Amino acid sequence: MTARRLWFLVRRLDPFAVGAILLLLAIGIAFIYSAGYRGPGEPVAPFYRRQLLWALLGAAAFLAAVATDGRRVAEQAWWLYAISIALLVWVLVGGVYINGARRWLHLFVMPVQPSEFAKVATVLALARHLSRTPHIREPMTCLLQTAAISGLPFVLIAVEPDLGTAAILVPVVFAMIFVAGLPLRVLGGVLLVGLLLLPLGWFALTGYQQDRVRVFLDPSRDPLGKGWNAEQSRIAIGSGGPTGKGYLRGTQNVLGFLPSTVAPTDFIFSVVAEERGFAGSLGVLALYTVVAGSALRAAHRARDKFGQLAAAGLGTLLYAHAFVNIGMTAGLLPVTGLPLPLVSYGGSFMLSTMVSLGLIQGVYVRRHSP
Amino acid sequence: MPPARIALDWEVVRLRVLFGAMLFGFAVVGAALWRLQVAHSENYRRDLARQSVRRVRVPAARGRIYDRAGAPLAENRPSYAVAFYLEELRQRGALSRTVDRVEATLAEMERLLGRPREIARADIEKHLVRRRPMPLLAWRDLDERAIARWAEHAADLPGVDIETEAVRVYAASSRACHVVGYVGRAAATNDASAPFHYGGPEMAGRSGVERVYDRLLRGAPGGRLLRVDASGYRRGELDRREPRAGADLRLTLDLRAQDAAAAALDGRPGAAVVLDPRNGDVLALVSEPGFDPNAFVPSLPAPLWAALRDDERRPMFNRAVSGAYPPGSTFKPVTAVAALSQGAVSPATSWDCPGYFLLGKRTIRCWDRGGHGAMSLRAALRHSCNVYFFHAALAAGPDAVVASARAAGLGRPSGIDLDGEAAGLVPDRDWKRRAHRDDWRDGDTCNLAIGQGALLATPLQMAVVAAAVANAGRVPTPRLLGGVRDPGQETFRPVASAPLRDLAWDPSAARLVREGMRDVVMAEDGTGRKARIEGVTAAGKTGTAEYGPRDARRNRGWMIAFAPYDAPHYAIAVVLEDAESGGTTVAPVVRRILEGLFRVEAEPGREADG
Repeated sequence: MTARRLWFLVRRLDPFAVGAILLLLAIGIAFIYSAGYRGPGEPVAPFYRRQLLWALLGAAAFLAAVATDGRRVAEQAWWLYAISIALLVWVLVGGVYINGARRWLHLFVMPVQPSEFAKVATVLALARHLSRTPHIREPMTCLLQTAAISGLPFVLIAVEPDLGTAAILVPVVFAMIFVAGLPLRVLGGVLLVGLLLLPLGWFALTGYQQDRVRVFLDPSRDPLGKGWNAEQSRIAIGSGGPTGKGYLRGTQNVLGFLPSTVAPTDFIFSVVAEERGFAGSLGVLALYTVVAGSALRAAHRARDKFGQLAAAGLGTLLYAHAFVNIGMTAGLLPVTGLPLPLVSYGGSFMLSTMVSLGLIQGVYVRRHSP
Repeated sequence: MPPARIALDWEVVRLRVLFGAMLFGFAVVGAALWRLQVAHSENYRRDLARQSVRRVRVPAARGRIYDRAGAPLAENRPSYAVAFYLEELRQRGALSRTVDRVEATLAEMERLLGRPREIARADIEKHLVRRRPMPLLAWRDLDERAIARWAEHAADLPGVDIETEAVRVYAASSRACHVVGYVGRAAATNDASAPFHYGGPEMAGRSGVERVYDRLLRGAPGGRLLRVDASGYRRGELDRREPRAGADLRLTLDLRAQDAAAAALDGRPGAAVVLDPRNGDVLALVSEPGFDPNAFVPSLPAPLWAALRDDERRPMFNRAVSGAYPPGSTFKPVTAVAALSQGAVSPATSWDCPGYFLLGKRTIRCWDRGGHGAMSLRAALRHSCNVYFFHAALAAGPDAVVASARAAGLGRPSGIDLDGEAAGLVPDRDWKRRAHRDDWRDGDTCNLAIGQGALLATPLQMAVVAAAVANAGRVPTPRLLGGVRDPGQETFRPVASAPLRDLAWDPSAARLVREGMRDVVMAEDGTGRKARIEGVTAAGKTGTAEYGPRDARRNRGWMIAFAPYDAPHYAIAVVLEDAESGGTTVAPVVRRILEGLFRVEAEPGREADG
């Protein structure tokens, strides 16, 4: 890979996607700063500076992913999948307990969350699987194989326990078999079975157990009592009003009502929405729409089936994160502890997001000419 | 490079459906956000305010009270307290660690100030639970030396500061205690119009002018909006509304007249009232014994309260307005007016006093057993002859005497702006039937005629009677409030006095009663001659009423007076609970009061008529 070749690829990037990504990164750093802001003259929590570093590392990872040929990725997909499964097993055996869950590995010098890479690796493995299988003729076989490939990391992540991250795979897998071209009746059946099982499983639990499950879903995120963060987040967002209180003027995080542990991470959207209001909320939603739309455009213009499925799957993965996170902070969905891509503070997730976006753009830059 | 693969039509459709599903998902999220941030934003704003803002009520500076010449009666002085700011002393972790830290600072301060601690660990804990965002006052009312010692080390002790509180001071201390009254710590009233979480120390008038004009004196409290963090510690101040100070009051009271009256009573249980008969201004109102209201601030110590409550001399009791006693012979001018206005007696009417009066089979003695001989009305007043007034009252009829008494203001509160005023009692036929299930008899009329029996009057009411005679039948309403100065104003806004009530006495009758009362003081054989002072023509009436159990009879001595005779501007009533008689014991007291009043009048720069 020469610098010239890289420059050629960069010039073929989707400018809208790149613009939206850079804006979201900037928003993230700005509002992580705000979340750490304690008032004039007081030291600001240093997360924003580290996030800037992560963004720069992420940019490098993004470019590396763009530069990697999709066919090379497809060849290595099973290896990546195998490595991520190994890491998931390792984290269960030798991971670090943080707040009652084993999610972190001390790999290299920093703690990493293997589940972040496992999600991407699973999408790539599924793309490889679905692009090579004669699924039109054998839909059920293909479905079972798909279930097996995605089920293994799902279970491993779910028992960490991190059911929120595991559950994010469900819409992604469904979107991929949809784009892969499985017959509509099969998809309809999957949807029907899923919809039937979900409430059955839920109603099988008593109210007390449901509460336990809610806490079990994510014991670390709710230290001050059930629903504290969700309630405070709703108050933060709601009190922002149509236009917000102004940058650095949010009070929920400053006063500790939105705990400083979650304000820059899972609840960063609350900070944005409190300070920038409904207008800011819509702006963020619009930027994610551009990013997701750009992924589907890459899928549309992909020169091979693997690229199409990988772009659609990774795009859906990012979209699902944004949807679940914002839905959670707005009180639509239970608190699951999923971060907001590109905006939330965190290294592992930043790198996996940027690699995903790089792979999507890698598909796009190698698009066929219409 | 293999040939590019073009997306199939169904693939494009499915990608578009997927994108449509994504847009739908964001639309749902957007709608939820719209609900939160636009439709119901107000609710969340309220929730936010409710959970992070605390309202603190800031009491206003209480208005001051002055006498009519500007001498201070009640003022405020600053008092210094050591305040601990808990948000600066807080420790992470268990609350007990913060308590430990406060304790450590307390010990350090104890050493520094050289004063023993005033609060216990339990107080710190209670404060942390109930008033966390507010400073904890560790020492109150420190002297300047202690503050100076603290100031040297202020920098070494973070979280500690000096707070200033206002403390009430009564300059006249016990001399005007029943008029000015005193304040106590106000109960925190959380009314719905201005709810608050924490209140400062607030004073409320508990008696006297402090209580009657509490609303004027108190002003309007201000407020502070404190922002607290999730742990409830203060984070800062959001807003502040300054309190509006209370109004200053100027009383009609003349502190020098008050002092003269108090000195004249000289600690003997009793009361003295000096009115200006022209407008009802209360120039002096003394009840003995008294108390020092400064001991009541900021709160009355329990032992002192118990001592005051159990004191048989009842120092808290304002005899001048709350004490109702039989007025005795000081009532005789009222009887005289009734008889004159009924035409029952004329200036020439004369009755013989043989020293007793025969009522049916009963014999009622006059106070002079030797008898006064032939008495005219004027002479009967001078000698205070009971027999004459028995004749006069029986001739006029009891109803006329009752009407005359009521017209002069007896039997109901005078309307002075003080609380706890007694109504007194003017017995009539209805009262007799109700209270004794008996008809009114001539004996009752005779008792009434000389101010005995069931008749009760307060010293203030009798001062009003004296004023009515002084004014020849025009009755003033006593009042204490002479002027109000709103905060920021230079001058007092005068308060108009109530117009005099004209009883339309016959001028000749009024003249006769006034002359009789002048003789009481000015004649060589007048019963009140001991009240006479050099250079002033005064008038008055003495009275003596027995009370107490038969084996320990005591005399309550009275005297009412007015002066100068031709243009009266003082009307006086004095009662002493233990007197030989009105003429021998109380008349000298009246003399000392008159001396004081006319001496004050003669002082330069002093307007005599207010």
